[in-house]
Amino acid sequence: MKLGRLWNSLANPKRIPRLFSIILGFILLTGFLIPMALNDNQLYPRPVPQEQINQGNPLAPYDRGGEVLKEPGIVISQYPENEPNLGKITSYLTPIAISVKNSTIYYGTSIYSSPGGLIDEILYYTRGFDTVLESTILMMAFVIASWVALNFTMRREEE
Amino acid sequence: MDIATLGGQLLGQIPLGDIVLYLTPFNLFMFAGALIFTTLIAISRTETQVEAEFGSLNDNEVKVGLKEFKIRRFLAVVCGLATAGAMITGDVFNFTLLVALIGIVNIGIVSAVKQIDVLNAAFQYGLIAMIASLPLFGGAAIILASTGTLSILEIAQLSFTTPMMFFASVLLILGIAGETGIAPFYATKAEMFRTPGSPFILIIHLSSLLVIVRAIEILLIINKPF
Repeated sequence: MKLGRLWNSLANPKRIPRLFSIILGFILLTGFLIPMALNDNQLYPRPVPQEQINQGNPLAPYDRGGEVLKEPGIVISQYPENEPNLGKITSYLTPIAISVKNSTIYYGTSIYSSPGGLIDEILYYTRGFDTVLESTILMMAFVIASWVALNFTMRREEE
Repeated sequence: MDIATLGGQLLGQIPLGDIVLYLTPFNLFMFAGALIFTTLIAISRTETQVEAEFGSLNDNEVKVGLKEFKIRRFLAVVCGLATAGAMITGDVFNFTLLVALIGIVNIGIVSAVKQIDVLNAAFQYGLIAMIASLPLFGGAAIILASTGTLSILEIAQLSFTTPMMFFASVLLILGIAGETGIAPFYATKAEMFRTPGSPFILIIHLSSLLVIVRAIEILLIINKPF
């Protein structure tokens, strides 16, 4: 009898997000009991914290070396045989970025650091399919939201 | 468990940079099944629900309008393609992205309906899908941190499993359960099915079934219980 009531309470859609959050909360709490076992052999390495900053490198902490289209920078990937041009555009900077780099040593931590270079290398070359999917998810969200907005709020047919 | 035991002989790979899709008979079968069903949906018309009117001898037909039909067909085809992609992908993060795409498109398929009960259920499902993206991507991130790689082909060759990897798998399966709405979180989806437009509603069902089968395969490869 009691179990039956419990199952019946699960049939109400309003209760489901709460149930899900409670289960998720418990599982996340048990995560504190799990011994941290991080693998030292990481695929996408980073330099030691503060190392490049202490050297006064304006690109810190994203300096990977290399010369555009001539000498590859340090980019490690899972399957280098699939990416013959890996690292070739890592050091690319736009003209604006070069002028900012010459005027401050904090260029690497500023918002200018995204165009070109290392982030593009990972986003569009080694893991390009992921980027396509991410933008597809965003596009589908906009398609649904705009369809609902256009047809349910703006051109609404009263019934 | 290695890939050959679970899926059969490795037939080939589709390299897309670091993301390598791999083909085994098991994955190919589900991939082809998802594609065939998507084609059937793309060329079919929706059903019409016929309700008997109370107090008279007339019937009330619940039809799907042309505009609604078009957007739902588009989203159903996207959902089918995402399901097919999730069947053959060989990268954990890629898989979670495809599952997130399936989740958001599922909400879209029912969001065009004009039935308040169905929209309410879809809203609750949307809440779960949003909450579930935390354990889904968190699980993939912890797998990357504890194994050092995201490629399933590389993870299959690891000789060890740590408690951290098991915890990541629990998070991953919870995220997938939320995104696809399996039991005990099924009530929201069950209410969503109560709407006309049968073939598009069925892809919601089929995608969650196939994704769960594939997720179990991935978790067995990661954790190697046998």
